[in-house]
Amino acid sequence: MARVKKIMLTDAPTLKKEAKIKEAAKSLAHSESGCVVIVEDKKAVGIVTETDLVKCLVSKESSLKEPVSKIMTSPVTFMTPSMKLDEALKIIDTKKFKKYPVIENDKLVGIAYKKDVVQAVSDNVKMHRNIQNLILVLFVLFEFFFMFYEYLFPIFAFFGV
Amino acid sequence: MIRVKSIMTRNVISVPLSSSLKEAANLMLSKSVSCLLIVDENKPVGVLSESNIIKGAVAKKAKVKDIMSRNFIVISPKTKFSEISKALRERKIKIFPVIENGSLAGLVAETDIIQATRDFTRFHQIFQEIILSVFGLATAFFLFYFSPIFR
Repeated sequence: MARVKKIMLTDAPTLKKEAKIKEAAKSLAHSESGCVVIVEDKKAVGIVTETDLVKCLVSKESSLKEPVSKIMTSPVTFMTPSMKLDEALKIIDTKKFKKYPVIENDKLVGIAYKKDVVQAVSDNVKMHRNIQNLILVLFVLFEFFFMFYEYLFPIFAFFGV
Repeated sequence: MIRVKSIMTRNVISVPLSSSLKEAANLMLSKSVSCLLIVDENKPVGVLSESNIIKGAVAKKAKVKDIMSRNFIVISPKTKFSEISKALRERKIKIFPVIENGSLAGLVAETDIIQATRDFTRFHQIFQEIILSVFGLATAFFLFYFSPIFR
């Protein structure tokens, strides 16, 4: 089974807790990642996604000059690079988020996406199915051999075995 | 086999081409979707995702027309799921309007595809375990029943 390390995006955009919402918007507009991780001393303390920012743009109360900590989701649900994809999928099934910061020894190392995890597990299952089909064919051949064992004696005799 | 018909969203949330950025963003939030379809005379002409809205807001544009992307593929209810999944993976197309008999019948978004893949995987895992255990038991039975030792 592959691990989270293999599918995560390593260059996650980060911002400090004191940064303005405007900076978050700029950093989201220039990257394809879809979220900004908010860090404090290299520790991930929150996450700002595109949905949070759209909410902020629409509402009149919060302006773009306020600190980013006002709209971030905190605390974050995170994964570790050594986590197996099965475990990651369990987290995804219970939490319903789309993006998860990957944290190793309290340091941010990347972002894991729901779609990548689901797709990797799906590919893995497909590969397993092919291996299983091969095993099943071997089983069936084995069964037939035992069923018609006696009828093979003349053939053995013909070849002088 | 996953069918497009079973995973598509039937009531499509769409905005006209002439609407403003703010209207679109409001609609997106109130319906809690991450992607809108832009229609012109009941025909899909573009898509608008959250990232498009943010890019538009940063570039200070106000009309949907200026910020929408045309990155979508029109499909029919008979399109194979594997084709859509491949387009999502390789061409990063996230939204697929479904056209049936010349009119818009539904929409398949990225989340629908991911959810369908997830459910299908779960079903497959259970199915595989059942088949393997049945065949394993059958093989064990055959081994003993037809074994020459017990004749």
